[in-house]
Amino acid sequence: MRFLKNIFDSLEPKFKDGGFLERLYPLFEATETILFSTDTQTSSHGPHIRDSIDIKRVMILVVVALIPCYFFGAINIGYLNAKALNIPRGMFSNFLFGMKYVLPVLLITFATGAFWELFFPIIRRHEVTESFLVTCALIPLTMPPDVPLWMVAVGTSFGVVLGKEVFGGTGMNIFNPALTARAFVYFAYPTAISGDKVWAIGPDGYSGATALSIPAAAVNADSVNLLNNVTQFDYSWWNMFIGFIPGSVGETSKILILLGACFLIITKIASWRTMLASVVGLFATAFLFNILAPFSSNSMLTIPPHYHLVMGGFLFGAVFMATEPVTGPHTDRGKWIYGFMIGFLTIVIRSINPAYPEGVMLAILLMNAFASFIDYFVVQKNIKHRMARYAK
Amino acid sequence: MTFIRIKKGHNINIAGQPAFGIKDCISPHSVAIHPNSFRYVKPKLLVKEGERVNLGAPLFFDKLMPEVKWPSPGNGTIKEIRYGSKRVIEKVTIILDEESEVSGEKIYSKDTLSSLNKQEVINHLLMGNLFPFILRRPFNKVANPKELPRDIFVSGYNTSPMLPDLELVLSNQKVEFQAGLDILSCLTDGSVHLTVRNNSDIFSDIKNIKLNTIEGPHPAGNVGIQIHHIAPLNPSDVIWTVEAQHVCLLGKYFLSGHFDPSIIVSIGGPNITNPIHLRSRLGTSIDTIIKDQIKQGDNRIVSGDILTGKESSENGHLGFYHSCVSVVPKSEKRKFLGLFQLGGTDSHYSLTNSFFGKRNKNFYFTTLNNGSERPIVPIGSWEAVLPMDILPNELYRAIVANDLDLMEKLGILECDEEDLALCSFACPSKIDVGGMVRRGLNMIWDEGNK
Repeated sequence: MRFLKNIFDSLEPKFKDGGFLERLYPLFEATETILFSTDTQTSSHGPHIRDSIDIKRVMILVVVALIPCYFFGAINIGYLNAKALNIPRGMFSNFLFGMKYVLPVLLITFATGAFWELFFPIIRRHEVTESFLVTCALIPLTMPPDVPLWMVAVGTSFGVVLGKEVFGGTGMNIFNPALTARAFVYFAYPTAISGDKVWAIGPDGYSGATALSIPAAAVNADSVNLLNNVTQFDYSWWNMFIGFIPGSVGETSKILILLGACFLIITKIASWRTMLASVVGLFATAFLFNILAPFSSNSMLTIPPHYHLVMGGFLFGAVFMATEPVTGPHTDRGKWIYGFMIGFLTIVIRSINPAYPEGVMLAILLMNAFASFIDYFVVQKNIKHRMARYAK
Repeated sequence: MTFIRIKKGHNINIAGQPAFGIKDCISPHSVAIHPNSFRYVKPKLLVKEGERVNLGAPLFFDKLMPEVKWPSPGNGTIKEIRYGSKRVIEKVTIILDEESEVSGEKIYSKDTLSSLNKQEVINHLLMGNLFPFILRRPFNKVANPKELPRDIFVSGYNTSPMLPDLELVLSNQKVEFQAGLDILSCLTDGSVHLTVRNNSDIFSDIKNIKLNTIEGPHPAGNVGIQIHHIAPLNPSDVIWTVEAQHVCLLGKYFLSGHFDPSIIVSIGGPNITNPIHLRSRLGTSIDTIIKDQIKQGDNRIVSGDILTGKESSENGHLGFYHSCVSVVPKSEKRKFLGLFQLGGTDSHYSLTNSFFGKRNKNFYFTTLNNGSERPIVPIGSWEAVLPMDILPNELYRAIVANDLDLMEKLGILECDEEDLALCSFACPSKIDVGGMVRRGLNMIWDEGNK
């Protein structure tokens, strides 16, 4: 790779102080450090050695954890289409069919995201941060496969600019940029992405109900019976767990999401506390609602906890969105509260709020807003017990 | 006796840990002392270039505590007094000559040491110019002889990579060590706490102290961590700490009547051919230590351990409190697509499991930063290596915001940069957490000494 390095070395003066492309230095630096790892040295007053991990690696690993969801998402689009048209099609053809829908969304997201991510460092004259890789890898997975591409571009711009850059960029943002993008599209273009009709590529006029909207529409019924009686899709627990159901591209296969979760926990990139706490919150709340179900005509209350776990985008949100380290609480104790509240609010929004059959996105965004508030109390508690110790 | 088990922290598997065993070292031609390396001290020189000084004679004093003077680490002639920017005194170098017999001070018998009067001990230490060996917390600076410490802490366990094995060092000087602890016990109304490795048996017959044992990874051997777990530092408290080898120096001074600057210095690091312990002396010239030991190539020579030491050079001298020389190879290698590397090499070492490969082997670290500085992305890497009831992230933010009140409430006075050095090591955003804590401490010090 000597010749590539030479090209970069010869280009460097043009981007350095005084060069005529000086303003574009962040672009040069970002490209160069992606191709060649940096040669920055540790400081002369220690530590003289450093761990091999850096933010680039952290972000790349999250993207790696998302790759299986992309593959399955594409296969699932093809599979559901073949089922709707009633034609036999192999796994690989399903994948190719799905990629025709996933790839353009992915490309548009990355093009838009990279544009803004470069635009702001050039204006602010700082180095490009790598977190847009994760943001842009997450956005297509939260979108329905047939979403119009211009909506993706507008949503990504909104998420990256207003969700992150206006606060000062990576590390400073309050709301998860990928979820901000998703929420923007959700509220701005409700006809495209309302969530109560199935998102699958089918013949014209093809429609159906999602797993969550079936019990939502029913009164005084047992939700598990309702789901098992659906003939259009297989809404059995196992199938929802494996993922051959309609939904956003990345959210359907719970088994692959759990695989991604294991990967992130083993590599110590994401917090297992947040993930576990949100599942505990979901189970506890759903269980409580099951007990209350006989006193209400709301069929959503009868969904058992383990069904809630595999329905909708809860797991995807809990594993990939809630664990975003910047927008969540920074204290370990705070993460337990934060995760639990996400699980709790997801069920509350799903079951009691008639307007939105899916609650995880709103639950996480709401808890993002409360994250520093939770941290504040954890810090106060730490200060208080320190004071008590001093008094002794 | 308190037993402490620490879970958080990490022992870095770096190649070139000093082997068990002590060798003799050639005697140095010069020694030096670095006056501006002492924190919160305004040094005023007592000597001039070309002047002859005796071992232990005062070289400079602190304008803020004029009674505290620093000893000359050798007999000889002052070759150079080097000034840095703003006229700070960087270094006083002494060319050693034939050891002349120094006039002895008062000699104490070892049985009477523990019953001495506090003022007598302090006066004797000040007279011998040995008071700078006593440090105080908070701030980890030279102690003030007018203060009464609540307790005195000594760590008998080094966990930081490359530092000398204290059990090896102390087992040969138990009489001096005991004498040093005896005189320390006269200086406080509280206790002298000696904290050693769990299951260590060489300290069982040490008297006049409270013996504590500790188990766990680095920074378990740091005295700051031990204080935090044994008897935490309250904001109004003053605690004195002395390094184990310096306890022996103090003991020797009381027993023999003169200052003996010999200490055991360890040498280690990936680019050292034969990492081992050496009999050397305070402030020795580094070239005598690394002679015939260093592998070819571009190296960074560090006075002190690899996490908190200061960069020096072959012509440099060991720092006053340092008992170790570490050598790390410099590297400027820029790997093509290194970002996507799976791992499996001897240089990819991470506390996260983000690289494949065996973990329990020795790794060849270089001075590469392994990334560029980024805003904080708190994936919990700091918390995992800080065995203290302190919220490092919140503390860091309070320091950045210059919020002195919040910093104190979050316990900054209990911290020192060496206790948080592992956080800087592990940080994926390459932030210098330890340096930031020092910045916070400086702010508080400046506020209190306006």
